[in-house]
Amino acid sequence: MRPGPLGLFVAMGVATYLTRAPLLLVLARRRLPAWLERYFAALPIALLTALALPLVLLPGDRALAVWLPQVPAALLVVGLARRTGNLLWPIVAGVGLVAGLRALVG
Amino acid sequence: MSASSRAELWAGARDALITVVPSILAYGAVWGGLARQAGLSLGELVAMCLLVSAGTAQFVALPMLTAGAPAALIVLTTYIVNLRHYLMAANLAPYFTRLSRPRLALLAHGISDEAYALTLARFARRPSTVAYFVGCAATVYLAWYLGTVGGALVGGRIPSPERFGLDFVFPAVFLAIVAREVRARWQWLVAGAAAAIALAVAVGVGGAWHIAVAGLLASTLGVWLAPASSGGASGGRL
Repeated sequence: MRPGPLGLFVAMGVATYLTRAPLLLVLARRRLPAWLERYFAALPIALLTALALPLVLLPGDRALAVWLPQVPAALLVVGLARRTGNLLWPIVAGVGLVAGLRALVG
Repeated sequence: MSASSRAELWAGARDALITVVPSILAYGAVWGGLARQAGLSLGELVAMCLLVSAGTAQFVALPMLTAGAPAALIVLTTYIVNLRHYLMAANLAPYFTRLSRPRLALLAHGISDEAYALTLARFARRPSTVAYFVGCAATVYLAWYLGTVGGALVGGRIPSPERFGLDFVFPAVFLAIVAREVRARWQWLVAGAAAAIALAVAVGVGGAWHIAVAGLLASTLGVWLAPASSGGASGGRL
């Protein structure tokens, strides 16, 4: 193995670990103030929405072929998840719709 | 390990397996194929996966490696792409109060978008356990590793995951969790603010800032609007 890339990968690993470990170590071992608990109650909704929507609405190149199937599929996922309270079947239905529409749109 | 811990471990592994693992394997295989084309040996790409284990950052790094970008720039970019982990780690921490420091240090390496999302979706509805997160995170970690090695071994002969809609699994998981849990008005406001900020930053700034910025800012609404009993680990709500 060449030394160059391996040193770089160790550095990348350290940089990544520095985003994962510090707050887990610090915050797991102390009592949180009430305002921070309310902040954390909102955080999953904010983060998961921020992860999901750009993936659906800003797919990059080949905009029509990607965009067209994803938007109705996203609406289907949201509707099914709210109606059933289940996670798996909305995902399966959404992925199926995307694959089917892409086969049609090309 | 107690029987209930084993059951929780398996529940985490199972939930990851039936939702995100097929896509992680597929995109791992794509990355493995691209990494070989970028000139990485099998040992090098295995090292990168085990050490970094962050799909988005690894996808961003490959073209930079090929283009001969300075190492410092690649490391900085990796750090910026992964900034969102700070928020996920902070969010998970209150559920892991009884763990020793070495165990927390080990657990930290397993934090990923998928393990975070599935774990908090579970904790919103059932008692929180460390074992569930471990089962989920280890399965995601292993799937990424196996996918990349598989992709490296078969090279560029993998059909595009988009053909099967597998790219849509990631937003679908996140959307389904949010859609299932958002009920109260303040939660809608947080989701709406996060959506607006994320899209504005993604369009206006580009790069990988939008997730961390939208998560950080939109959650501040919770400080004012969330009811007092809704606090993460004690309230048990998403």
